[in-house]
Amino acid sequence: MIALLFYIGAAVCLFVLMYALARPHRAPVEGIANQFVAARGSLQTLQQGLLPTNLLNRIFDRRDLDYIDGQAAPDIRRLFLSQRQAISLMWIRRVRSEILNLLHFHRSHSRFHTNISILTEIRLALDFAGLLFVCRILETIFSWRGPYAAPRLVQSVATAASRLCTASEKSLAFLKVPGVSAFRGDSTPGNAAV
Amino acid sequence: MEIRRQGTRPFSPKWVKWEVFVVNFSSNQNDVVAAADDLRRRTLAHLPLALERLIYLASTRDYNTGLYHHDGLAQRYSEAAACEGLANCHRESFQELLAASLEELVRQLQAYADSLGALSSNFVTAWKELEPYRVAVPVGTDPLAAEFVFSNLKVALTIFERRLFQPLRAPLA
Repeated sequence: MIALLFYIGAAVCLFVLMYALARPHRAPVEGIANQFVAARGSLQTLQQGLLPTNLLNRIFDRRDLDYIDGQAAPDIRRLFLSQRQAISLMWIRRVRSEILNLLHFHRSHSRFHTNISILTEIRLALDFAGLLFVCRILETIFSWRGPYAAPRLVQSVATAASRLCTASEKSLAFLKVPGVSAFRGDSTPGNAAV
Repeated sequence: MEIRRQGTRPFSPKWVKWEVFVVNFSSNQNDVVAAADDLRRRTLAHLPLALERLIYLASTRDYNTGLYHHDGLAQRYSEAAACEGLANCHRESFQELLAASLEELVRQLQAYADSLGALSSNFVTAWKELEPYRVAVPVGTDPLAAEFVFSNLKVALTIFERRLFQPLRAPLA
């Protein structure tokens, strides 16, 4: 009797498990669209706001520090370093946060829309994991040693993030409509130029 | 001119305050380019410092609507073309300031304070307390770029203030 109850219980558990796994996930159309738009936003933020070379060169430019050292004022040096540290921490935290957004997008949706081989997916997953790890390391270095402690690591984070942006761009390419810019302007009320 | 207010990143709270005002212009792009060129040749040519240009161009922007106004340009071209031309020049001067080194920024602050004709000490006090540069950022600027410029201006102001009130010691060898 106990054995029978045990088997029935196991069967019920298996059934519940299979039902839970087989049940289609609720994914409202607008919900998916939101995730695509959010991923597109993250991509734009990274490419236009956080990774441009000229901005990174300015933030981590040692010539500013040399100029401050030339002032021979320790309080100004302290102020400068704390300001630059805050900026570099803001940069790395935002890069990490946007990369996480892209990772969530890739994990949940991109595989349904692009033909990505298993090998590419594994490589992409490793790239994401590696970059997120290095971002944490860099954040720790900025917190402890200041913004000028790891210039090579900054460069490698920027390069790796750009590479992931390029990969994500391919997944989101269908959101770019080439003709849209041509529709702006040149229209007068009652006489659309489109 | 139809004005549409659009959030750039509706799903990220960080970006909510960085809303972009999208202006649907009935003017064509040629007018905008011509208006911006005109502005650079006539008005901005008299403002050699990027900082001066930034403050001037920000002052032509309405705080309530985010739209730029310039009577002369609007008469010559159109209200919409003048607005977009001013916005383009504003973004340019912000980019120049973003690219400027700290040393250059101190020099610009000093020259700007001199050009105002006011007491430099009053200028420094007002800028440190009111931080007027915070409202001079073009709409749609990435928060990191804006904070970087603010941070540099804060340090530059401190250096400028130090030069005003106490002569600097000789630089370290």
